[in-house]
Formats: sequence, C-alpha cells, structure tokens
Amino acid sequence: MTEALAPIGTVLTRSDASAKVQGCEKYAADYYPQGMLWAGVKRSAYAHAKILRIETSKAVEVTGVAAVLTSGDIRGSNRVGVPEMDQPVLADDKVRCKGDPVVLVLAENKKALELALEKIEIDYEVLPAVFDPREALKPDAPLLYEQRPGKNLLLSGTLERGNGAASLKDCKFVVEGRFKLPWQEHAYLETEAGVAGINSEGILEITASTQTPFRDRNELSHALGLPADKIRVTAPYLGGAFGGKDGITVQGLLGLGAMHSGDRPVKMWTSREESFLSSTKRHPAELHYRLGCTQDGILLAMTCEVVLDTGAYAALGGAVLAMVLEHAAGVYRIPNVFIEGFCVYTNNSVASAFRGFGAPQGLAGIEQMIDLLADEAGIDALKFRLKNAVNRGDTTGSGVLMSNSTGIISCLKKVQRHPLWINRQDWVNNAPAFKKRGVGTAAGMQGTGYGPVILDIANAKTELLPDGRFRIYSGVADMGQGNNPTNIHIAGEILNQAPKDFELLQPDTGSCLPSGSSSASRTTFSFGNALIGACKNLKERILTRACNLMMGAYFENLLLARGKVLDMTSGREISLQAIASSMTEQERISIFSYIAPAAKHPESVNSEIRFLGFPHRIFSFACHLALVEIDELSGEIEVCDYLACTDAGRILNPQIYEQQIHGGIVQGMGYVLWEDFRIHNGDVLCRNLATYILPTAVDIPDLQSLAVETEETGPFGMKGVGEIGINLPYPAISNAVAQALGRRIYEGPLTAERVLKCLNSNPTGGKSED
Amino acid sequence: MKNVFLPNSIEEFRQIWSAVPDAVLMAGGTDLLVSLREGKTKVKNIISLERISELRHIDCSGGEILIGSLVTHQQILDAPIIAEALPVLRQAASLLGSPAVRHMGTIGGNICTASPAADLLPALYLLDARLELHTERTKRTVPITDFIIGPRQTSLSEGEFLYRIRVPIPVPNTRAYYFKVGQRKALAITIASMAALLRLDTDMTVLEGRFSWGSVGPTVLRFPETEKILQNQKLSEPLLKEIGEKSARLTEPISDIQASADYRRMLVSNFPLRLLQAEKYTGSNGKK
Repeated sequence: MTEALAPIGTVLTRSDASAKVQGCEKYAADYYPQGMLWAGVKRSAYAHAKILRIETSKAVEVTGVAAVLTSGDIRGSNRVGVPEMDQPVLADDKVRCKGDPVVLVLAENKKALELALEKIEIDYEVLPAVFDPREALKPDAPLLYEQRPGKNLLLSGTLERGNGAASLKDCKFVVEGRFKLPWQEHAYLETEAGVAGINSEGILEITASTQTPFRDRNELSHALGLPADKIRVTAPYLGGAFGGKDGITVQGLLGLGAMHSGDRPVKMWTSREESFLSSTKRHPAELHYRLGCTQDGILLAMTCEVVLDTGAYAALGGAVLAMVLEHAAGVYRIPNVFIEGFCVYTNNSVASAFRGFGAPQGLAGIEQMIDLLADEAGIDALKFRLKNAVNRGDTTGSGVLMSNSTGIISCLKKVQRHPLWINRQDWVNNAPAFKKRGVGTAAGMQGTGYGPVILDIANAKTELLPDGRFRIYSGVADMGQGNNPTNIHIAGEILNQAPKDFELLQPDTGSCLPSGSSSASRTTFSFGNALIGACKNLKERILTRACNLMMGAYFENLLLARGKVLDMTSGREISLQAIASSMTEQERISIFSYIAPAAKHPESVNSEIRFLGFPHRIFSFACHLALVEIDELSGEIEVCDYLACTDAGRILNPQIYEQQIHGGIVQGMGYVLWEDFRIHNGDVLCRNLATYILPTAVDIPDLQSLAVETEETGPFGMKGVGEIGINLPYPAISNAVAQALGRRIYEGPLTAERVLKCLNSNPTGGKSED
Repeated sequence: MKNVFLPNSIEEFRQIWSAVPDAVLMAGGTDLLVSLREGKTKVKNIISLERISELRHIDCSGGEILIGSLVTHQQILDAPIIAEALPVLRQAASLLGSPAVRHMGTIGGNICTASPAADLLPALYLLDARLELHTERTKRTVPITDFIIGPRQTSLSEGEFLYRIRVPIPVPNTRAYYFKVGQRKALAITIASMAALLRLDTDMTVLEGRFSWGSVGPTVLRFPETEKILQNQKLSEPLLKEIGEKSARLTEPISDIQASADYRRMLVSNFPLRLLQAEKYTGSNGKK
C-alpha cells in the first residue's frame, strides 16, 4: 500500500494523535518505576518568615518513610532560576511566600507521605510582608532579600523617544487610562510531575514535564552540586505547559530525593490544589497611559508606566518586563514616547512565563487606549489603526524597527472587508430586549525568540537508520502544540519520505542536542530551520553515496524517493537500506546548528532590558474582531462572534495552525472574562478548578480564523503562531464591552458582577470606577 | 482505610446500617467525595445507595410525581413524564453541573446536602414538594420547607433516610421557569437563582404567582407576602420590578469567592424581569 506524502502546506494528521486519543501516550505523570518512593513537600504556612527550627524526628518515625530532607542535605547552591538564581530548592534561612517548599519527604506510599508531612514541625519568626508592588517600592517596605542592592525592585527600564512626554501638549486629542490586569493561572491538564533515579553508572536521570530539559540540567547541576555530565533530563510529551514549565518545577526536589533515596527511584506529582498554590502565574500588571494624536488622528505622543508584580522570586520576571515595554506601544508609529516599567518582588505567588510573555499585558493597555483616543477624535477605530500602523521599515512607538515581514496592515484590511465588520451597526441595533451589543477590534504583534543579546540557537540531529528509515533527535519539547509532528512533516518534505518512515526521539540530554526552550514562538522557527539544514546535509550525503555505489550515476540525475534513490536517466535504483549499510554510524548522522536572526539596530533602552530580550526582530501580527452581547439583568457577557486575522508567515499545516489560533483565543477569552486568580495577603483564594473559572465549550462561540501569509525566514516561510492568538482577546473584547456599555471597566477580568455594577452605577461620573 | 458498602436492596441497606450506624450515606457522591478530598469530612464507613433499584424510579400517581431519592439528574432530564408534568424541574436539572455530574448526582443527594445553591431546590420549593422519610419502623412525609433548616442542615433524625420525593402536578395553564446565574454557562456553582410559577388569565392578569430564591440566604427562600402583590394584577414591568426589589430586601445573601452579597441582591432585583422576556418573547429571544 502506498502512503501519500503530505506536502508542506497541507493537513498532515498529527503523528501524536492516535496514541493520545487512546490514552497510551506516556506523559511524565504516567511513569511508575519499579520500587519507587513518593516524594512530597511540606510548604510554608507564612508569606514571609524566618525559619528558626525544623523538627523532623516525628516524621522520620512514621512507618513507610524513607527520608526526610531539609536544605541542609543539599550540597550545591540550593538556588535555581534564570537568569537570576534566587529560588531555593528547599527554603533555608527564610520563606518568602506561602507554598515555599521547606522539607522534602520520601515515603513508600502516599498515606505515609501525608502523615509524615503533618508531623513535621517548623518554628517560624513571622516577618512583615508586602503584597502590593507599589508598597514594595517604598523605602520602608519589608525586604525580601536584605542584601540586594536594588531592594525589592527586580528590574526597571525606561524608553524615551523624540520629545517624550513633552509632546503631549502638542496633541489635539489626549486620553488617559489606568488599567489593572489580573493574575492568570496556566491550569494545564498535567500538573507538575516527574520521576528521578540514579542509574548504575551513577548518573542522575530525571524524566519530567518540562519545556526546558537542557537548561534544567545546568540549573540542577548548580543547585544540587553535581557535574552536568552526571545529570540526564528527558522530556516526554507534556500535558500542557503554556510557559508554566519554562524552568524548574519539581525537578530540583526530584533530583534531591533521588540522591537520598537509597538507590530507589522517586516520583512526584502535584495535586491540582498544590499546583495552584506553588506554580507560577501570569504577572498581574498596572498600566498608566497617556496617548495623544493630531486633529487628523495621527499618533503623536505616548507615556506609559508599567508595574509588574513578580512575586517572591525573579523567575523570568525581568524578561517579561522587557516584553511588556516592547509591546506597550503596539503596532503603531508614535514619534514621541516615554515608557517606564518596574518589575517588583512581593510576598505573593511567583509570576513568570505565560503564553504571550508580557505581550498580552502591553497590548491590553495600548489597544484600549487606541479605542479611547479614536473615540475622542471621532474616528472609526479600525481606520484609526490603519492610519497609524507600521509598514516594513517603520519603527514602533517602543523603538522597534520592523525589519522583517510586516503584515499588520493586511490583517487590519481583512477585518475591514469582513461581513461581521461591515454589518456591525445593524447587528448592534438589533439587540433584543434587556441586551446591549457592542463590537470591538484590537491589533498587535508577538516578538519571536530571545532578543538581541542571548543567541537563539537550535541544534538538530537526524540519522539514516540501518533499515533505511530515519530518526529525528528532537532538541525541543512538545507540550501539546504539535512541534513533533511538524518536525516529521518538515523532514518528510526535505527527504521526500512518508511520515511513517520517521521515528522521533523526544528531548533527552543524553542523546539529543541543546536547542533552547519550547517557548517564545521560536520552537518550530529555530529548531525547524536547524532540522532543514540537517536533513539537507543528510540528503546530499545519501545521494553522493549513491553515486559511489551506482557506478556511472551522476549526482544531478539522482532522485531521493521513498525508501530508495532513483537514477532518472537509466531507471536504476538503490535502496536506502543498501546505502545505509555502506555507511559508518558517523556518516549516517547529520547535525546542523541554526542561529536565529537578531535585531542589530542601535540601543534605545538600558542594557539590562536589552540583555533580557529587547528588541525582537521577527514578529507575528494579528487583528481580532469581537461581537459581544451583554445581559442587562445579570451583567453576563456572551461573545457571539469572533474573528482573528493573523500574519504568522506561511502555513506548514493548516490544522495545527488553526489549533494554535483557536487555543490562544480561548485562553485569551478566559483571561479577559473569567479567569480571576485571586491572591489576598499572600493567600491563594482560588484553590481548585471549581473556584478558578476556565471557559467551557459552551462559553466559546465558533471562532473564525483567516490567515495573511507573508514570507519570512522560518521553515518554508513561516513565523511563530503559538502565542499571537492569546494577545488580543483581552483588548478586543474590552473594547466591544465598552462600546456596549457606553463606558469602560478598567479592572479585569470583566466578570458579570463588574459589568452589572458598572451598569447600575451612576453614569454621570464619566470614567467608571471599579 | 474507608469501608464502602454497596447494598442491593432496602433490606440489605437496613442490615448494614444497623451494623455500622456511624456510616455516611452516599447518594451519588458529587458533594461528599469533594468534601472528603478537601479533608472537610472525616468518615470511616460509607454506604452508597446507588444499587438500590427501588430508589431509582420515577412514577406518577394521584396527581403527584413520585421521584425516588437516588434518581439521577440525568434521569430527570430523560424522563418524558418530568418533561410533561414538571418542566421546571427538568430545566433546573439541565443547568446543573456537567454531563458527568448529572450522571452521578441524584435528587436525594441534592436535597440532603441542603446547599442554598443547589439547583433543584428552588423548583422543589416552588412546587411545594414533600419528602417521604423512612426509618426501619416509621414513615413520615414533610414539606421540603420544614426539612431543610439551614445551610447543609436538615431535620433528618437518627436512622432516618429520604425515601422518595412527592411533587404535586401543577394545575393546567401554569408555567414555571428556572433562571440561574453562575460564573460561566456550564459546570458553575449558582451565584443566585430564581424559580417562578405563573398562572395567567388570557388578558395577562396574574391568577397565581410564586417565587423561590436560591443562593441568597441560608436556605432556598420564598416570600409569600411578596407573592401576594401579584394577585389579580396585570403582568407588567413595574410590577415585576417591585417583586424583585421587595424580595431583594428580604434576602440575606453572603459574599464568597463566587460573588458579593451586593451582586446577589442585584440579581434578585432583576430576575423577575426575565419572566416578561419569557412570557412576551418566547422563542424569539434574539439568539443566534
């Protein structure tokens, strides 16, 4: 039976689908090694406290307990984190937020584990704590790190262009807005999980649900005091991550456990409640904007102040701040700008990477400001955007040069020509009794990769197997978005083989090559380009060897076909198996390194912000349209129709592309409408999925996705599509709701309660307060 | 370790219960199992009643619908007799939880858990449901209003269990509705709810009007004095507004993670207007 090849640009059924649907794909949480112990931690009951004494004797006595470990059992630095290594594997001198791990217990079963955890006594000296980032910046605020020169300020950055704030006075129209954006929890299906053990060669082997297997190995080496070559990390398919597994979760605890388990493997898997308590979140943000334009609606000046709460540890907070600053002026030419941002430590839960990585916060601000200003100037919101949006060669308000493919104007025009937009006023006018309708748009972009300083490198490895099939050694984890199937799709296209002719080895620091994280919309862009290079080299090697083996054949007359090489002039052929058997192992393996392009234009920001990723060079773009209906009796918002027009370059697989757009939009709708992760005085109030409200299928309308396919330098012309979808539901829906209500709600999410209170409050005050 | 007993008949259940009188009865487990996971409830023995077929019937007799206490929400959704005689109960069941919860959870569990936010209770209050309570020796029938005495508190005495729910079939030409607001459209705990029953003359004069309110007090609430305002009046927006506002003043909602007390009162004020919508614009609600 012949198997159809699936050319790039057509739907290729995901190679991971069958095993996942049947439930036989093994995620990290599914590993139960022979003779394993359960690992679990005693977590801090206080948001900020000095540890005076830890009494573990009663826990040790519990039947079935194998080890009770504290920071004293750690040989290394006991610190993880990138780039700032400030987070202990187990708290030593003090705890800085509720949920900080203090004591690790290994036990035969969960019952003994639970009992032992209850019997651990910790004496604390409770310290004053700080939960508000602005309070934390005051000179008398309690300090999380007494020795830090910057005190509670993790990082700040300033961007000034043109005449900065001074130009606001030259504007005909100026609007002001203060926005408050909530925490967001990743809420992946698979909570933090993994297993670890020391193998017969003394190597610590960890299988974990992680986006960053290679970086984890380096951090663990530092924290646990083991040479990196004594650590091996493998990353099977993840049951979701969205940035929440961009770095160490349980890996440090697993490694420590395995080093003290008497040579038995250990397993840790957090419950949903523990995951909510201990995992990272999206940074809550406060944004204060002023935005002004000329009589004709040409943007002239902007000021923006951003305050991010990064919680008790830095994690990726600095890099998120850099992204907020970069996206805070959106996709517009604004000549005079002053942007200033602060990322601040508090005793709240840790905030770090989350799909969009700061872009959703920046765009939630600027895109609502654009609507406010367009309204003030009396210009249609979409026309206003079109007047000011960047073309290739322009510089954004944040000072980012659009040097590569820039499809935002095409996206805006696609929305403008769509029947949902053209017929919007009729639709609004036909609202039934007790309903109000509104239509909103938002536009924006998403930077790809790590920025100008930290090189975005991927190293691909492929092998022609002795049986004539191929193996891909993946350096990047697949957390569900489908980069493994896409890698097979890409390799199949270059080598002209069917998907079944490939096996794919998931990231394993023992046999694959470091290729950076699965994040930043760069996974397929960077690893895919490396893979193309590796496959092209291998193809050339195969054809060259075929010339050697088929005497009288010429390279240019040979065709690499499925399972064989064909000489088109003579009709002779030779099997790939025969070619493979003539090669040494070294010859059968091909390696290729790829470095993604980075922005080279002059510095316009402080060096720390630049180091952490500002500015990017390659961007995906989108314009979204939301049609909402508000119930005046309850305040409930229904999104009736939703359209996304996206420029993420060329499409490799329309199905995976659409899945990313849809998934991003749904998560973005959750962010603006329902997902209110509440933390009060350091206490996590949303303890489970009954109180943290994720959208269900019936809360989401049919989503329409249209593509603008510009040509970029990713594989076959693509750009990253994993994040752009989440960036715009917040402002698009907020703008639609503001139109329906005739006033704006400045604090998210837009719960039914906030909407009804806004409807019921006295409308004469102008701005709604919430 | 917990012991879970699964009796197949009432007889077997009585024997087990007399042997382990401290056992907790489980009628679906959609509340109990959550409570056990959270460590709020500590139990040693559980008797699950799900295999007792006698408790899983829906019957019609003497102008009443008789619903066994272990009838699941899904059974209520599926039973033609409920759709015909008690559509408001069916509507309430359709807004409860998710398919998984509706297949596990039961009407008896919903009643005995006695949560003010329970979705079936406003309809049962509205319809003047009565409960058959059995012990080994005694049987009594009490109005649901007397059975639920506070949040998660019932007047079940020792050795007594809920056998069956008796719901009088409303007289012809009455219509009843259930409206609920949760944090999302499905799988949502009720923030506030209203069940309402109207009997209207052809000229929209109200012959009878009843209202019950969920999740705005320690139990589901009814305000008979307020209901009287409707009597012999023409159904109108001002009248329904008055009912809503008067009722809102009588409710005693709490603030919790789902919503504030203020918001719950606002919902009570507005809920009756939904009737106008439903009565006037049935079927042309502007939905896509």
